[in-house]
Amino acid sequence: MSGTEGGGRAPSATHVDVPESGASCAAEPGCITCGDVAVLLTVTDVAGSDARCRDESGRAELVATELVGAVAVGDRLLVHAGVAIERVQGEAR
Amino acid sequence: MKFVDEFRDAELAEVLGREIAALCEPGRHYKIMEVCGGHTHTIYRYGVQDHLPEDIELVHGPGCPVCVIPMGRVDDGIAIAEREGVILTCFGDMMRVPGGRGSFLDANARGADIRMVYSPLDALRIARQNPDRQVVFYAIGFETTAPSTALTILRAEAEGIENFSVFCNHVTIIPAIKAILDSPDLRLDAFLGPGHVSTVIGCRPYEWIPRDFGLPLVCAGFEPLDLLQSIYMIMKQFADGRAEVENQYSRVVKYDGNPVALKVLADVFALRPFFEWRGLGSIAHSALQVAPKYARYDAELRYEMPGVRVADPKACQCGEVLKGVLKPWECKVFGTACTPETPIGTCMVSSEGACAAYYNFGQYAKQRLSLEVLQ
Repeated sequence: MSGTEGGGRAPSATHVDVPESGASCAAEPGCITCGDVAVLLTVTDVAGSDARCRDESGRAELVATELVGAVAVGDRLLVHAGVAIERVQGEAR
Repeated sequence: MKFVDEFRDAELAEVLGREIAALCEPGRHYKIMEVCGGHTHTIYRYGVQDHLPEDIELVHGPGCPVCVIPMGRVDDGIAIAEREGVILTCFGDMMRVPGGRGSFLDANARGADIRMVYSPLDALRIARQNPDRQVVFYAIGFETTAPSTALTILRAEAEGIENFSVFCNHVTIIPAIKAILDSPDLRLDAFLGPGHVSTVIGCRPYEWIPRDFGLPLVCAGFEPLDLLQSIYMIMKQFADGRAEVENQYSRVVKYDGNPVALKVLADVFALRPFFEWRGLGSIAHSALQVAPKYARYDAELRYEMPGVRVADPKACQCGEVLKGVLKPWECKVFGTACTPETPIGTCMVSSEGACAAYYNFGQYAKQRLSLEVLQ
């Protein structure tokens, strides 16, 4: 489900929740939070402290932006567990 | 995909490998430890070791937050989840970590309600949607993840959400590195610094490593060429007779980290006097707890739990693997009794754990070695 690197295995239990953030912890390989993986996303819309973002494949995710200050459409953010932890300058991955 | 390809260029990797080899001092063996599960995963997945000369050995440290959670803390989570009306939430890999009473998946099979989330903010959303239930977030992770938990607590307070709390198991990387350096059974030459942890804490907290131990540390990114370039920078330090903190991942990591995230961490969390790490034992000031100011969001104060230390299974050698003393395949139960499908130890649970990473991708390294022998 997640187009991000990592994602996490889907356990074979009931109660597997697909969160409204649009992101998921349910794709191979690995878990982006457990693996300390952060993903590079681009802001497409801003709503208060949250920003709707997309990755290179077009997958959308709602991201909390309090830790990186005010963001604008087109900004590139390093995102971990639904929270932006840094801005990324330029085009580099 | 052009940006990914640039960091995975095989020809560039060959060039870097040759330049690294040229910097090796004849007859010297170099042990370089990475302390990030993401690095371990990249090393095995892309065969980074294959591009290095035999004299450079990559050693995998305690970089996977799932792998360092002791069994007793898993049991504590299950005890919370088994209470009437509680929804426990956690990250994906945490669902399969074995405790003394099984895993969270086993607890679900017995009737508990433990849900996987991608972000602690999703746990808060579940609390908002279930006002008649208590929602607890089982927080794990290093400094990369702790800010998201802190931010969630701040949002819970701002919104006045009372049916939400956090069982905090966040750990900090610096005391773990110190414990490894103080360990008598391991000699290291350098560190690959954790890229995304460093995004939050910066490079400054590592300065004591070259100063007090004379070991280089290079903060590294997560693509194969990031790691090879970082190893090149380490080898260049050896060649120049230097030992410094350097930042290879400068496109993301700032030397002073993210000051806003650090301020939020300092506000919401306090350092625990001690915390038990699987494999490393009890380490002073190595973990976070919810600060008294936010005590009403602290699940440890809200719920009684066993709080009992549970010894690891005798056959499990995760401790030695986490310290880099044993390679994954040297563990007695690796690939036999302990597999990703039926993990005994935590290192086999998360794909960023050294054992699972080697189990999933190490076979390719073995195949390459066999081909070289045949040729």
